[in-house]
Amino acid sequence: MIRIFPSSRFTSLLSAAKPLRSFACSSSPTREPPQCASFAEKKSSPASNSLSFTPKTPLFLRPPLHATPLSEVWKWHDWAKDLASSVEDSSTNSEDSLDSVVLLRELKWLIEDSIVDDDPVIHRREIGDDCEKSVKLRASLEELYDLWRQRIEKRRPFQYVVGCEHWRDLVVCVEEGVLIPRPETELIVEMVEELVTRDEWYKKGIWADLGTGSGAIAIGVAKVLGSRGKVIATDLSPVAIAVAGNNVQRYGLQGMVEVREGSWFEPLKDVEGKLVGLVSNPPYIPSGDIPGLQAEVGRHEPKLALDGGIDGTDSLLHLCHGASRMLKRGGFFVFETNGEKQSKMIVDYMTNDLKDTFSDLRIVSDFAGIDRFVSGFRL
Amino acid sequence: MAVAALFRFPLLLRRSLPSPSSPSYVTYYRRTVLSDGFSYRLRSFLRYSSSDGGGGGGGSSGNDLGGANDTGIVVSEVQIPNYLKFSDEELMKQCKFETFRVSGPGGQHRNKRDSAVRLKHLPTGIVAQAVEDRSQHKNRASALNRLRTLLAIKVRNKVDIDAYSPPPELLQILPPKSTIRTSSSGSQIGPNNAKFVPGMQALLDVISACDGSIADSAKLLGLSTGGLSRLILSHDGLRMAVNSMRAAKGMKPLK
Repeated sequence: MIRIFPSSRFTSLLSAAKPLRSFACSSSPTREPPQCASFAEKKSSPASNSLSFTPKTPLFLRPPLHATPLSEVWKWHDWAKDLASSVEDSSTNSEDSLDSVVLLRELKWLIEDSIVDDDPVIHRREIGDDCEKSVKLRASLEELYDLWRQRIEKRRPFQYVVGCEHWRDLVVCVEEGVLIPRPETELIVEMVEELVTRDEWYKKGIWADLGTGSGAIAIGVAKVLGSRGKVIATDLSPVAIAVAGNNVQRYGLQGMVEVREGSWFEPLKDVEGKLVGLVSNPPYIPSGDIPGLQAEVGRHEPKLALDGGIDGTDSLLHLCHGASRMLKRGGFFVFETNGEKQSKMIVDYMTNDLKDTFSDLRIVSDFAGIDRFVSGFRL
Repeated sequence: MAVAALFRFPLLLRRSLPSPSSPSYVTYYRRTVLSDGFSYRLRSFLRYSSSDGGGGGGGSSGNDLGGANDTGIVVSEVQIPNYLKFSDEELMKQCKFETFRVSGPGGQHRNKRDSAVRLKHLPTGIVAQAVEDRSQHKNRASALNRLRTLLAIKVRNKVDIDAYSPPPELLQILPPKSTIRTSSSGSQIGPNNAKFVPGMQALLDVISACDGSIADSAKLLGLSTGGLSRLILSHDGLRMAVNSMRAAKGMKPLK
């Protein structure tokens, strides 16, 4: 259901060497007409025929148009529970098998997102004329059957099924074509929060989130920067640009987060040497590991956001060089990595090959104790 | 005494791990980011008591409190900070925050729906966890609330019965019939209100100081024995804590 239409609106920075496209504000049907206020001064440029996507509306934001008899919903619920419970640890590879405990929890969340009054569905009472009542669904029952089948038979990630992920205190819309934000990555925002609480200087300057995907990190960072915050979020993928733009708008942060399409630093030429902060969760999985990924990830999530080249460091190394060019003196960066070896490699590279460029290089572990992040400051 | 505290404290740390939703499938990892030194200083003020204070302790654990596995009661001899008065942020700083993860590389490799979190309050060793929400963030909030309840139940402050003056948070949870209530105590706060928790802690301090006697405690609180019993039975955690205290003194449980 991705509709494609010619983008009608462009914005460019006055100082930019070439026109930079902002997100061509398409929004979900339930929302008000978008405003494309970006924090930088801008002027309109003539329309061109570049393409833009309309992001899907997640289940929880759809209008509850489908009145359905409770008895029918119960039938669906029974079927869905049976399907979830019938999942055995069939795969010998336990890393890649479905788990019915987790599936049943997901089913509860699916009900939460798709049924307005979910209580009579979850806490069923077989008394009186309850089953003659109807409940309001945000998707037809037919679609709910289909969605649950996709979850189990096709291993479609739950977050794509419902169209959102709960990440930090945010509910971020996601769909095929953008990486689902991971809980580990929440720590990037926490590191930024810690830094800006300690030193106000970082609240005043421009930040960038490269390869923003759903926009989760950019939005998280903008929120911890407070009202003066400025974040530029870039992505190569037009789907990501549309989804991130929609998320930014849902949180009313159009004045703080500007979404720009393009590869890594390309759309940032106008702010070279001016950034106070740079964050990224770039693709870092070694190409050889891609075929063995968990089905939800390997079959459904965008390779563009996962595959980091032969040893997984292609994008990371590019980011290291970019960081030296883009950051102001004292500017902060943090990148997510594949962990362990890769983190050490990046730190070694920055210490030796980019000598005298960075200070306080640190490897920071995630909650699972894996050396997940590399952070530091521009000298 | 401080030396004894340091020797005995490891008992608290050497607890069995809580069983996550699917034990065979989930591997448990430690987070490496630790809390500040503040909590370590507090340790020396605490004494882990399994024989003279808490007694067996088995009664106060419960899955209904969010899977906390610790059963020990912490008794302070020195006036310690009232943990319930700390803000969420301050309390978090005293905790080790852990998540449950399947083994493997994590990060972009996994799509995981398991956003369970586990908080370990380092000064007391009390553990609280939450699994039911989609967001790790929200699970952390639920775990913090559970931690507060567990702190109320398990950390005992010394009370001087002879010169007892009940704190306002305790007066708030007492039924209107209590003769020590004043007009400024406001209407009674019930067990589903978050403000019940600090009152419950103060109430347990009184009962503990009265060696588990409901009649003696009721007298101090201006209530009938029946009135106090009803209050205790209104909250599962409170009931279990009182009964565990009574069991240690060889008294019959309240039902």
